[in-house]
Amino acid sequence: MDYDKLLSLSGTLGYHLLLSGAEIYRVEESVGYLLRAYGVETGEVFAIPNCIIVSLTTPEGRVLTWVRRVPDHGTDVSRMEDLNALCRRLCAQPPDLAAASALLEEAVRDRPQPGLPLRLAAYFLITSTFCLFFGGTAADALCGGLCGLAVGLVLPPLTRLGANLFFRTMVGGLSCGLTAAVLTALGVGEHLDLILTGAIMTQAPGLVVTNCMRDLMAGDVMSSLVKLAEALLTGAGIALGTGVALGLAQALWGVL
Amino acid sequence: MDLFLPCLYAFLACLGFCVLFRIRGLGAVLCSLGGALAWLVYLVSGPLSGGIDFLQYFWAAVFLSAWSEGMARLRKCPATGYQLIAFLPLVPGAGIYNMMEAALRGDTQGFLSTGLHTLGIAGSLAVGVLVVSSLVRMLSHRRGPG
Repeated sequence: MDYDKLLSLSGTLGYHLLLSGAEIYRVEESVGYLLRAYGVETGEVFAIPNCIIVSLTTPEGRVLTWVRRVPDHGTDVSRMEDLNALCRRLCAQPPDLAAASALLEEAVRDRPQPGLPLRLAAYFLITSTFCLFFGGTAADALCGGLCGLAVGLVLPPLTRLGANLFFRTMVGGLSCGLTAAVLTALGVGEHLDLILTGAIMTQAPGLVVTNCMRDLMAGDVMSSLVKLAEALLTGAGIALGTGVALGLAQALWGVL
Repeated sequence: MDLFLPCLYAFLACLGFCVLFRIRGLGAVLCSLGGALAWLVYLVSGPLSGGIDFLQYFWAAVFLSAWSEGMARLRKCPATGYQLIAFLPLVPGAGIYNMMEAALRGDTQGFLSTGLHTLGIAGSLAVGVLVVSSLVRMLSHRRGPG
């Protein structure tokens, strides 16, 4: 057996699982199962949200290690499900390594993203319904939806330019805050605070905080701390962005 | 109506997130339904929890994990996808924002109180999820991925 190939296969699987937003324990378990399915009992996996390390000892006693850093990523549930199904299949009946690598390549091939209009519609739907959810009126929901559209329009170019998480959320918060302030000043929106709270929900790090607590309780302290820092940074970014926007609006219009 | 409308909003919001997180078809509807029902559990459990909202969040999380584990078994895919999105109406995203906003204003008291409340909510949700997933793991004794 070519242990180098096995190592890179299992490492790549773990890397793509992390990239699709899978939980730490799922990544570590999947890689462990895959190694064991190919008869390696001496494999170790260590993953945190932005790095994965896989190591194994061959029967001849050679130690092999594979490290890969994981860039900033979103969540892609359909890819996570595909990878999980692939991992089940590989573990149930391990094919030879070349075939397995081909299957993995196939699973992580780029598929068409939902188009921009659909994504914008989703942003509008999310933010406007969250405005209603927090107790806003129909007019607030409309404003919230428009703020959501602003965020949805601003984020893709920033992502293409490779802006980091903090900067992205700050600009998102800024566009949110400006739109909300303008609409409220024009008399369309009624409750600025409710509009803002709803409008930031597409970026708000609530899920990150919950995952952070779950990792902490499951014993993955490192990844929990990474996520806590991410949540605080994101929250600070949004608050800074909206704060700047509201401050500007106040200076320009003297309202609010 | 007091119960129905918020759940409807939760359903629609989850549906929107399904597009962004790329869940399609029946899965999207099921997971949004889970989000709406979890919010219903949150609202209904209010009188049973003695006004402690952490307990309400806990019960909602227990329900939601059971729901997503059930759906995952039924449709043979990881529970994560369903959980991720259905949790969004419950998770304290606005809390983090309020907390950092208080910090920016220099309101240390507000920062600490909203911060601790947010961490408390996140903790209750996480405990709810862990209780169910640990039970499922103990009961099913599975060996193998998934």
